[in-house]
Amino acid sequence: MIWIETIVNGVLYGGLYGLLGVGLALIVGVMRVVNLSHGEFIVLSAFVGVSLAHVMPGVHPLILLAPVAVIAFGLGFGLQAVLVNRVVTRPDPFASILLTFGVAVVMRNLMVEIFGADPRTLPAGRLAHASTTIAGLSVGVLPILILIMSVALFTLLQLVIMRTRFGRIVRATADNRDVVRLMGVNPGRVYNVVMGLALALASVAGMLLAIRSSFTPYSGVERLLISFEVVVLGGLGTFWGAMVGGIALGVAELVGLKFDPNAGPLYAHLLFLVVVLMRPNGLFGARP
Amino acid sequence: MTLLEVDALDAFYGDFQALFDLTINVDAGETVALIGANGAGKTTFLKCLVGLIEAKRGEIRFAGEPIGREPAERISRLGLSLVPEGRLLFASLSVEENLTMGALNRRPGSWTLPRVYDLFPVLRERRRQMPNALSGGQQHMVAIGRALMSNPRLLLCDEISLGLAPLVIDQIYASFARIRAEGASIVLVEQDVKRATSAADRVYCLLKGRVTLQGPARGLARDQLSRAYFGA
Repeated sequence: MIWIETIVNGVLYGGLYGLLGVGLALIVGVMRVVNLSHGEFIVLSAFVGVSLAHVMPGVHPLILLAPVAVIAFGLGFGLQAVLVNRVVTRPDPFASILLTFGVAVVMRNLMVEIFGADPRTLPAGRLAHASTTIAGLSVGVLPILILIMSVALFTLLQLVIMRTRFGRIVRATADNRDVVRLMGVNPGRVYNVVMGLALALASVAGMLLAIRSSFTPYSGVERLLISFEVVVLGGLGTFWGAMVGGIALGVAELVGLKFDPNAGPLYAHLLFLVVVLMRPNGLFGARP
Repeated sequence: MTLLEVDALDAFYGDFQALFDLTINVDAGETVALIGANGAGKTTFLKCLVGLIEAKRGEIRFAGEPIGREPAERISRLGLSLVPEGRLLFASLSVEENLTMGALNRRPGSWTLPRVYDLFPVLRERRRQMPNALSGGQQHMVAIGRALMSNPRLLLCDEISLGLAPLVIDQIYASFARIRAEGASIVLVEQDVKRATSAADRVYCLLKGRVTLQGPARGLARDQLSRAYFGA
């Protein structure tokens, strides 16, 4: 029974991992660029959340998700418009890798300077520890909320990309950034919005993660690693693949922790290694 | 009235000069064929017109407006539409979504989704499918339809007979009559000289980035044409 409980918790936790990675999957899928500062933006969102909670003590952190996501959207839009669009058209992928790596280093140090290096958490009051019993299993209320929120956001993203005019333009731009220009679309502007969306999604995940466990300005690397694994596990550029990849990682991590409490996320990384060795294109990836 | 005026155009791919001193005009309502061997600069010329390659020297005027240094996304709004070589459909969009992409910078005019479906009825049946599921000829129809959806004043067609069965090419060329009847001018880039000259009012022949021959499509002498096409 304890194992089933662990697996259920892993699934709930994994939804969060999926949400961490889906933004990165969106960016990779649309602009074929890897944002190495993805993790730092996730951590920055958590700091912004903590600061907002400090300024508005009565407001529940789940409500703060909305303003933090809006701020993250703006930061992503700005990052793309000011910096990444300068390198996104280069055939050499190193340009964008070096650029976003530099952004990550600068952000990490600025966050140490501004917020200090002490571990923080985002206090969520009773909700953080509340649990309920479903079919004889004891599960946390917050993890359930998190999974529901993740699935809702995934579904929303899927609808936006597959059903709206904007989504059509995004997919067309991903297919061929020159041909959309012939239809009057400025690919740079599309990228700005996509980066904004990606970081808004990541910021929600960053806030929820900050409720579950503590973070420091240096946590970005671990967040980026998980995001990467989620993207590659799912198969580059697929959304639901990212969700399933996240859940696989979450289950591996919690099950691993159960019989090896010092392991940390080791077993998630091991699972990643095994999958990449066996299926280099990810669980759902068709393209090489 | 002259719709397109290209005057002394030079264009480059990096350091390589692809077009030399090109002067080409297209009148409103006219169909002009651009013929020439591989590497003559036909595709480069079309890319210059739509703004995907910058005009290094010389002037391009469309409906009186200079467009040689304008970005592609602005030029397309003026009513210049390209059916690119190799079609370049959006692979993650359905047939109908591909067509609606063409309507993003729609100018007023008569081309709508139903009218494109009337022109190519097979696309109506296949509107929910992905382009890769279509035959080559049908994919060409989507590319032409997509270009028409913006109601262009000038439709540029790059090698639309390439790799197609003769019967399918006939069908596609037959659609030009309707496209012209709606008021669009057409520039046809072709390697198939016979087909190009029979569909066009006037012909330009390019060789190694230069115009080697121009004149009315009817009455071009064979030897004159082959000299212009292959060089002396």
